[in-house]
Amino acid sequence: MAAIKHYYFIYFTLSQVVCCVNGFMWNGDTFRRKVSLEMNPGLTPPSVVPPGVSMLHARALGHNDTLHFLFCSGGAPALLLIHTHSTESVVEVNWDRFISADPTGSVKVAPESSVQYRGALVFTRLWEYDELNSTGQSVLSPYELQEFEWDDMNKTTDYTHHAAELCGRHHSFSSNASLCLHFSAYESSGRVEAWPRLLHNANSSQLRVLLRNMTPRTNQSHFGLELQTVSEAGLQTRVDVHRSIDDEYTPSIFQVSEWVWSHDNSSSVVGFSQWKPVVYQKIQPAIEDAAPCSHSEPVDLPQAPPSRIILAYFTQSSLTHGLNVTFNVTSEPAKNSTQYLSWTMLAGIGTPPSEFFSSLVIAIMAVGLGTPLLLLLVGGVFICIHKRNQDTFSQYESIN
Amino acid sequence: MAGREETQGLLDENGHDAGNRRRMSPFCDPNHLLHRIVVLVFMCFLGFGSYFCYDNPAALQKQVIQDMQLNTSKFMQLYAWYSWPNVFLCFLGGFLLDRVFGIRMGTVIFALFVCIGQVIFAMGALVNHFWLMELGRFVFGIGGESLAVAQNTYAVNWFKGKELNLVFGLQLSMARVGSTVNMNIMSWVYDQMTNLLGHTGPFTLGVALMIAASTCVFSLICALLLAYFDKRAERILKKEQGKTGEVIKLKDVKDFPFQLWMIFIICVGYYVAIFPFIGLGQVFFIEKFNFTPTQARAINSIVYIISAPASPVLGFMVDKTGKNITWVLCAVVTTLIAHMMLAFTFWNPWFAMVLLGLSYSLLACALWPMVAFVVPEHQLGTAYGFMQSIQNLGLALISMAAGAILDSKGYLFLEVFFCACICLAVIAVVMLYFADLVRCGELNLSASARAKLQKSLSAESEVPQRLQILKKKQQQEQHAHIKPLSAFVLRNRYLSRLGAQLPDHYNIHLSSLAYRSLLR
Repeated sequence: MAAIKHYYFIYFTLSQVVCCVNGFMWNGDTFRRKVSLEMNPGLTPPSVVPPGVSMLHARALGHNDTLHFLFCSGGAPALLLIHTHSTESVVEVNWDRFISADPTGSVKVAPESSVQYRGALVFTRLWEYDELNSTGQSVLSPYELQEFEWDDMNKTTDYTHHAAELCGRHHSFSSNASLCLHFSAYESSGRVEAWPRLLHNANSSQLRVLLRNMTPRTNQSHFGLELQTVSEAGLQTRVDVHRSIDDEYTPSIFQVSEWVWSHDNSSSVVGFSQWKPVVYQKIQPAIEDAAPCSHSEPVDLPQAPPSRIILAYFTQSSLTHGLNVTFNVTSEPAKNSTQYLSWTMLAGIGTPPSEFFSSLVIAIMAVGLGTPLLLLLVGGVFICIHKRNQDTFSQYESIN
Repeated sequence: MAGREETQGLLDENGHDAGNRRRMSPFCDPNHLLHRIVVLVFMCFLGFGSYFCYDNPAALQKQVIQDMQLNTSKFMQLYAWYSWPNVFLCFLGGFLLDRVFGIRMGTVIFALFVCIGQVIFAMGALVNHFWLMELGRFVFGIGGESLAVAQNTYAVNWFKGKELNLVFGLQLSMARVGSTVNMNIMSWVYDQMTNLLGHTGPFTLGVALMIAASTCVFSLICALLLAYFDKRAERILKKEQGKTGEVIKLKDVKDFPFQLWMIFIICVGYYVAIFPFIGLGQVFFIEKFNFTPTQARAINSIVYIISAPASPVLGFMVDKTGKNITWVLCAVVTTLIAHMMLAFTFWNPWFAMVLLGLSYSLLACALWPMVAFVVPEHQLGTAYGFMQSIQNLGLALISMAAGAILDSKGYLFLEVFFCACICLAVIAVVMLYFADLVRCGELNLSASARAKLQKSLSAESEVPQRLQILKKKQQQEQHAHIKPLSAFVLRNRYLSRLGAQLPDHYNIHLSSLAYRSLLR
């Protein structure tokens, strides 16, 4: 009986420990924001946007700051992140100028002085590489995303889940082929169901790139994406590749890549993009449907990306960087028709969220390691008492 | 009429042989060492095919999954299907060999099962039907474990009282060589087939597996040759056909002591964290540690490579020191540490895998003989049969579970799951230790203490009066700390542990070796 009580006591203690560890680990992520979506902010009814231009404003309100996400499809699709230390800050768009030939200065965040961080992520090109036998690869002419016809985001916006999907196609695409960008903003930390199940928090948003039914132009095509970022002058950028032992949420992937921005004089990260080097080939993938993807080192680019909102918001003193993400999926001719690629990234402010063991893993290890030790302890004590009792009762006679 | 002629012929031949015995060359004389060595070669290669093909799926994990378009849990079914028939056949194998087929016929039949199983397995790949591959593994499983029993029986029959321990050791090493060669060569075979056929796919996989099946054909030929040699030896030496002597009585299960059940739990908990892991290992090392496929295959076979030379050395050490439970605890804890290193660190996995290989060999040496200490001799067959049966049941279930876990939760969780299995084994070891302590068993005595116990008992058996007095005392004593085993058995047990040569019917530990399947 006593032993059983001991068990309960220890299990109780262990579960407490587990809860504590958990609570400690999740503490930083209990932070919540209030997210609200708005299509084409400030656009008054008589005026309409031309086809192919739409802007989604996600406003994530914190306790004493506001995070603005602007997801926009004029030219190359772009995601703008603006962090202000005011709860009152607003996005102002001068639509007449925005849709004109020179949109410079047509997007503003007021009050301007409250802005702490601004950065943008632009998807500029879809590359296609021809994998030649043993002689390397040749680059086919890229699809410029600024030339795509973009659908109206209004139809795909989900106001309850704070998500929207922007789909577009190049005029040379086959009829049902498309490239879609699925944007989600989050009120709190968590994970979405679909792999790679990146851990997000209230300071980040997720972009999923979906390539559907693309017809490769050669028998052995790889696809790739060119990403460009725009940031304020004075920020440094680098891509870190971390190895992570925890692949519970993204089976068989043990790496995470982070493209981070930090101030010159400090190591603290102010903005980030994060992804895992994996691309999935099915809507509901298994491990076998995962293919690796790789990225190049970021390079400085001389001019701003061809996106309307970048020209409209950033001034001349901004910096542009670019890198390529390559999906190492060798297309097999037989599977052309069902081709599907999905690649997911996070974009946000502050330090990127980092993984920790799930409570289930910790609990299993704690119980697994704790029980034998406990048993040894209890058993040892029991044996000692038993022996002592026995010794007082009877002395063993020597057998010999 | 024909029968009469045959007997006539045989008699004639016998007379002829008896007359010619002196003139037979040493290679043909069943009494001569050289002849026995020739037979030993065939004996070793008898099992080669089944060891080679058992881990075919592990060696070709990526290719099988790609070509057959499987997920990992389906892939692990291949291992589960191997284990299912053995849940029951562990009880039946000895019976079939002794009573139904006889050792020669039985060996040929089991070798045939292995061969046909592997051919069906390869056919399944050729025609791109996964269920056929599963069926192949099932048939292969029917033959595999029983063939190991037959192999051991042959060894006992031919080398009884002579070089038996060495022969068992050689067979074990041969088994490891088979597994290792398979791990490292199958992928090369597959690549060659790809070059030859110009494409990958189920057909290429099937051809590669068919080539692997040739090792089984080779084993079948060995079985036929062995049957011939055995028959010939029987004729010349007039000796009996070998028997496993295994008696299975399921009724005995209810009499199994608590310690034996703990040994079962250790066996299941430990081995399910080894074999399914090796089955999935290759891709794990590629994905987590960025190994090249060649490196991954090499490291995945390191457990087998190490256990080939380490088993005899560690076996000798365990025999000399006794203290089996302590050794088992060492082995299990070391394995736990190795698995945790693989799970929670990026340290060079060679270190963890070498640890795993050593502890795996140590456990095999310390765990299996313990059964003979806790069960009376006439129940040994049942106990070992039950142990293997439970082990196969565990392997079948855990193989399927491991595949499913990997598919949904990844390698970290899989490793944690394996750690949990080993933790269960650790718990069982601790319980076994206490049970042994409380019941004053001899499992954890040092070899010298066992010797002392033995000495006192044998001294007493020579002086019957003193023994009787002691027996009375023992009956009076409430806490009898010496098990009422006959002195004869105890002496033999001790002497055989020392490695002393005994007449074979004395040596009960030979039977403990003979029951063991070499795959484990």
